[in-house]
Amino acid sequence: MLVKLFATLKDRAGANAITLAAEGEFTVRELRALIAAQHPKLAELAARSIVAINHEFAFDDDVVRATDEVALFPPVSGGRP
Amino acid sequence: MNEPTIIRITADPIDLNALQRAVTTPRDGAVVLFTGTVRGVTGAERTDKLEYEAYTEMAMAKLQQVADEMRAKFALIHGIALVQRVGEMAIGEPTVAVVVSAGHRGDGAFEAARYGIDRLKQIVPVWKKETRPDGSAWVEGDYLPGRGD
Repeated sequence: MLVKLFATLKDRAGANAITLAAEGEFTVRELRALIAAQHPKLAELAARSIVAINHEFAFDDDVVRATDEVALFPPVSGGRP
Repeated sequence: MNEPTIIRITADPIDLNALQRAVTTPRDGAVVLFTGTVRGVTGAERTDKLEYEAYTEMAMAKLQQVADEMRAKFALIHGIALVQRVGEMAIGEPTVAVVVSAGHRGDGAFEAARYGIDRLKQIVPVWKKETRPDGSAWVEGDYLPGRGD
């Protein structure tokens, strides 16, 4: 499956997406571990970045399917109110 | 009632006058327009330019969600425009626009625009890379989304 990357993560990986060997269903927590194992450069960022599944924010206990659109990115650039 | 809702992620310059016209209906007597611009000086720091990047498909969905929340909270407002520009922008250029029309200025238009920009900056996946005299870096926010975001 593909995982889309943005901002800091894209720069760190040197690409706007990574390929992940993964099948079936797993949790977001497991997704982070898969990314860390298969893409060590992203390990530290993968642990604390935001995960989106099919354009919705996802949390560690949520289920990811290998067919989902998955993205990993830092908190959005808020700016000071 | 058919109220205009304009949601846009664009690489083109934001035309504020065109947005004002687009959200204004014959029933409107008030339009509040917020725009964020590229700030060149922050305290002692200088910024040369900003580059904005969006996760476009998700950003469009989240802009629509922000517009829906604005309508739910501010029942008297009419038109809404939420526009985020992406790509490189120079000092002073509009990067984002939130425009709200209403029958009267007291109908919640100011409050809705404030809510809209604050919410946009929390949940719409857009990032900026700042170039300073000493190099460039992504600016990371500190809002972590929760359930319902």
